Amino acid sequence: MYQVGRNFYSPSDPVEIPQHKLTLWPGFAVSITQFENRVMLSADVSHKVLRSETVLEFMTSLYTRIDNACFIQTCEKELVGLIVLTRYNNKTYRIDDIDWCVKPTDTFPKRDGTEISYVDYYKQQYDIVLTDLNQPMLVSRLKSKQNSTVEPRVVHLIPELCYLTGLTSQAISDFRLMKDLAQEMHLNPEQRQQRLSQLADNIQRIKEARLELEMWGLQLGCQVSLTGRVVPTEKILMREQTCLPMSAGDWSKDMRNMKIIGVQPLDNWLMLCSNRNGELAENLLNCLKRVGGPMGFHIEYPRIVQVQESPMAFLRAVQQHVNPEVQLVMCVLSSNQKDCYDSIKKFLSLDRPVPSQCVLARTLNKQGMMMSVATKIAMQIICKLGGELWAVDIPLKSLMVIGIDVNKDALNKGSSVVGFVASTNSKITRWVSRCILQNTGTDIADCLKVCMKGAISKWHKYNCELPARIIVYRDGVADGQLKMVVDYEVPQLLSVLTELTTNYSPKVSVIVVRKKCIPRFFAEANRSLQNPPVGTIVDTEATRPEWYDFYLISQLARQGTVNPTYYNVVYDNSGLKPDHMQRLTYKMCHLYYNWPGLIRVPAPCQYAHKLTFLVGQSIHREPSLELADKLFYL
Amino acid sequence: MMDTNLQKDDLTGTIKFIPPLYKQRYQFIKDLVNKYKPKKVADLGCADCTLLWMLKFCKCIEVLAGLDIRENVMKEKMHRLSPLPADYLQPSERSLTVTLHHGSVAHKDPCMLGFDLVTCIELIEHLEAAELEKFPEVVFGFMAPAMVVISTPNSEFNPLLPGVTLFRHSDHKFEWDQAQFQSWAVAAATRYDYTVEFTGLGTPPPGTEDVGFCTQIGVFVRKYPKNGETVNSEKHTEHAYKTVFKAVYPSLKDEKYLQNAVVSEVLFGADIIKRRLLGNFKSECKEHSDGLEQKLKFQPFKYFMTCSKNLSLAETEKLAADRSMEPFIDGNTVYIPLAKIFSIPKVNQLCGTFEKLSNLIAGKVALSNDGSAVIVTIEYENEEQEN
Repeated sequence: MYQVGRNFYSPSDPVEIPQHKLTLWPGFAVSITQFENRVMLSADVSHKVLRSETVLEFMTSLYTRIDNACFIQTCEKELVGLIVLTRYNNKTYRIDDIDWCVKPTDTFPKRDGTEISYVDYYKQQYDIVLTDLNQPMLVSRLKSKQNSTVEPRVVHLIPELCYLTGLTSQAISDFRLMKDLAQEMHLNPEQRQQRLSQLADNIQRIKEARLELEMWGLQLGCQVSLTGRVVPTEKILMREQTCLPMSAGDWSKDMRNMKIIGVQPLDNWLMLCSNRNGELAENLLNCLKRVGGPMGFHIEYPRIVQVQESPMAFLRAVQQHVNPEVQLVMCVLSSNQKDCYDSIKKFLSLDRPVPSQCVLARTLNKQGMMMSVATKIAMQIICKLGGELWAVDIPLKSLMVIGIDVNKDALNKGSSVVGFVASTNSKITRWVSRCILQNTGTDIADCLKVCMKGAISKWHKYNCELPARIIVYRDGVADGQLKMVVDYEVPQLLSVLTELTTNYSPKVSVIVVRKKCIPRFFAEANRSLQNPPVGTIVDTEATRPEWYDFYLISQLARQGTVNPTYYNVVYDNSGLKPDHMQRLTYKMCHLYYNWPGLIRVPAPCQYAHKLTFLVGQSIHREPSLELADKLFYL
Repeated sequence: MMDTNLQKDDLTGTIKFIPPLYKQRYQFIKDLVNKYKPKKVADLGCADCTLLWMLKFCKCIEVLAGLDIRENVMKEKMHRLSPLPADYLQPSERSLTVTLHHGSVAHKDPCMLGFDLVTCIELIEHLEAAELEKFPEVVFGFMAPAMVVISTPNSEFNPLLPGVTLFRHSDHKFEWDQAQFQSWAVAAATRYDYTVEFTGLGTPPPGTEDVGFCTQIGVFVRKYPKNGETVNSEKHTEHAYKTVFKAVYPSLKDEKYLQNAVVSEVLFGADIIKRRLLGNFKSECKEHSDGLEQKLKFQPFKYFMTCSKNLSLAETEKLAADRSMEPFIDGNTVYIPLAKIFSIPKVNQLCGTFEKLSNLIAGKVALSNDGSAVIVTIEYENEEQEN
C-alpha cells in the first residue's frame, strides 16, 4: 500500500469518478495506542481524493465553457491559490500567478549559466514530450528556507505537467459532484466492516506483515466487542406542551402546531426585493403569517421596498431605510451572488447592527415547498430577534455552558476567527456571542479571557448572581494542540474567574470536543451490523486509561456509518458523576435552534462555528456588540 | 560508488568541473542509454540511487536494478524510485520494474542475468583485492550483459588536484593510471569475449593534456550475442543477494490499468456528449439566469474536439455528420453509438481497434440492449441542500 501522510492507500484498486476527473484511492487511517485495557489497532476506512486532471486540461475545458473575453480573468481567479502536484516528482507548489507571455519554447538559464528551452529541458531530464507549445506558464514563489530577507525564488511550471489537488470551490458547490463522491465514500456499517475485516485478514495472511508484528512480540487478535449505554430520549419542552419525539433525533414534525417558548412580536421590519420578485415576496409574507400564528409568533406587515437588480441597489436601499428601531431586514435575492450577500451582512453587522435574513428567490420558487420553507425562515427570524424556540430539562441550577470554535478567515490567510458563545439563563435557551479575530499562530488564550469576562458579566446582569457551575466545550483543537489547551488555556480561563471577585469559586469543567475520530461503532442486530442508536455512549475499552474521555453518538445517520463524537474532559472540579456529565452533554446536542433535531456537537459549539463561519467568509471583522444577545448569524 | 561531491570540491581547489564530474558521469550513462536503448539496466554500487532515479525516466528501460553492499545507504533514498501518484493516475504505455538488492559484486546471483547494460561507476576502486579478483568473472563471465561501462579515477590526474596526497577518497583501495586500467580492462575483455573502448570525462587544463581525463571510462561490448539458456544459470540457482526494494510501475500494458483508463475516458466523453445534447453546455450562464429549470432541448448534433491528435477537425466533422454516429435521446436515456465513442481521440488512441474497445468496456459500461450504443440516463436536478 502507498503511504500518504499517516494513512495508507491502494492506488492499484482505484475508484474512478470519470465525469469529474476524480480518482479515489481506498485505504485506511490507522493508529496503535494503549487503550483502557489493552493495546489496540484502530483503523478506519479512508479515501484519498485525487484529481486526474492536469491544469492544461482544466484550462482547455474552461476555455470551451465560458466567453473568450473573460477567459484570462476567470482562469486566474480559479487557479491562483491552488496547490498543484507535478507529475515528474512528488512536489507540490502553490500557483501564485500565471505568466501569459512565456511559452514552453522560451528558454531559461540553468544552474551552470547555459540557456535551455523548457521543451528541451523536460525531454532531456524526464523524457517527457510537451504536446501544447502555446500554453502559458504557472508561476510559483518558493518559500525561502532562511529568513525573509532573501528574495524568494520563482519557479515556472508547465500546466500540462501539473495535476490539480484538492477540490476547487466550484467543485464543492457542484452538488452532483459531491453526491457522486459521497456515494463512493460513504459506506454503510456492513460495507465498512467488510473493508476493515479484509484489512485485518490481510495483515494475518501476508507473511511479511505477520512477521513484522511478531518481531515486536505482537499478534493481531480479533475485532473488539464492547458494551455501551444508550441514554434515554430527551423530552422537548415547548411553551405549553412537552413532546417526546417519535424518532429520537428529529422532532420537526412533532413540533408542528406547538407554540415556541417565547419571542417579541415582529412589528417594525423591512423587506427588500427586486422588482421582478414582488409576487414571490408577497407569497412568502402570507406564508410567514400563516405559520407564525400556530407557533405563537406575531408577525406584522413589513415595510416593503422594491429595488433594482444590482447589489449596489440593495445596499443603498438598506442604508437608506434602516434606522435603529427596525427589528429585522429581510432581503429576497435573485441569485447566489456572494458580493451582494457579503455587503449586506457587513453593513448590518458592523455599521448598523440589525439582524438580517437573506432568502434566495430560487428557494421560494420551488413548488410545494413554500410552507416548510416559511416555517424554517420563521424559526430563524425568531432566533435572530433573541427569541427562544424549545428547551430540554436541565437538572443543574445556576449552570453556564460555553462553546468555543476557531476557524480561518477566508480572505486574510494569516487570520483566525475565534467564536465564543455562552448561555445566559438557567434554561439554557438564551445566548451571548462574541467573535474575535487574531493572528494565526498566536495562541488564543488572551481573547478567551476577554470573552469569558464578558460572558460572566452578562450572566450576572440577567441572573443577579454569578454562575455556580461553568462547563466549557472547546472545539477547533488541532492535533498536537491538546497539550497547549490543557497547560495554558485552561489555567488562563480559570484565572479570569479567581480574579473576578473574592470567594468566587465555581465548579468548572473543560471538555475538548473532537468531531473526527478514527473509531466507529457498529451495533449487532440480527446477525447484521447497523448504526448504533442516537444517545449511545461508550466509555470503556475504546477510551484511554489515563484520561476522562467518552464517545457519544448524537448524529442521526441516514446514509453511511454514523460518526461518533469524542469528548475529552481535560479539567474537572465539578464533582459530577461521569454518567451525569455524559447525559448533560447529550442534552446540549438538542439545543441548536437552526435544526429541530440532534446535532453532532453541543449546541454552543455549533453556534460558535456558525458565527466564525459568517465572519470568516463574509464579514471579516468583529461584529458589533449590540448584536451579541441575538443569534444573528443563523 | 560515488565519490562525495564535497570531498571533490575540497580536493580540486582551483580545478572545478562544470557541471560537476559526478553529474557528467551520470549524463554519460544517460546518453548511452538514449543511443542504444537497452531494456534491462543494472547499476552496481548504486549507493543513494541517484543514477537509477535519472534512468527511470528513460522510456526504453523496462527493468532497472541496483546492487550495493551498504543496505542503509540504499534504504535512505530508495523511496525516490517508487511510482508517483501521477504514475497511477495516468499510467503510461511502458512497463517498468525497479528492484534494489543488497549484496556484493563478488557473488553470483541469477537475478542479474540477461541484462543489456551494466554500469559500475566509481566502483572498482572501492573493492578489496579479493573482491576485485572475482569481479571480472562475475560481471563479464556470469552476468555477461551486452554492454558494460566501468569508470574509475585516473591517478595521473591526481597531481593536478591540490590536497590529494595518496588517494582522492579515504575508502579507495587503489587508484590506477591509464596504463594499469587499460591493461586490466583489455585482459578481462579478451578473456570473456568483449571489445573495449576507452574514453573519459574531465579534460585537463591546456598545457597538461598528456595526463589524460580526470575520470577514465571503459565501454565494453560483448562480441557474440547469447542465444538460449546459459550454462551458468543452471549451475547457480541460489540467491546470494537480498531484495530490499521492488516497485512495479502501473502500465497500460497491464490489462487492468488499460481497462480502467479506457472506461474512464468513455464515461467522461459520454458525459460531455450528454450534456451537450441537453444544452447544458454553458454551465456558467446558469448562475445569472432566473434559476428556472432548463427546458430539454434537442440541438442539432455537432461534436467539438478539443485536443484532436489523431483526427483533424475536418475529418472528425465529416465522421460526425455520418448519420449512424449521431447520438439521440429516447425518454430519459441518451444513446451514444459505439462508433461515436470510438471516434473520441483519447479513446481511439488507447484502444487502437473497435474490437478492443468493445472487449474492454464489456461489463463495465452500460450498453443498449443490442450492444451498439453506450447509454446514459438523464437525472433531473434534485433539490440542493441549503446551509
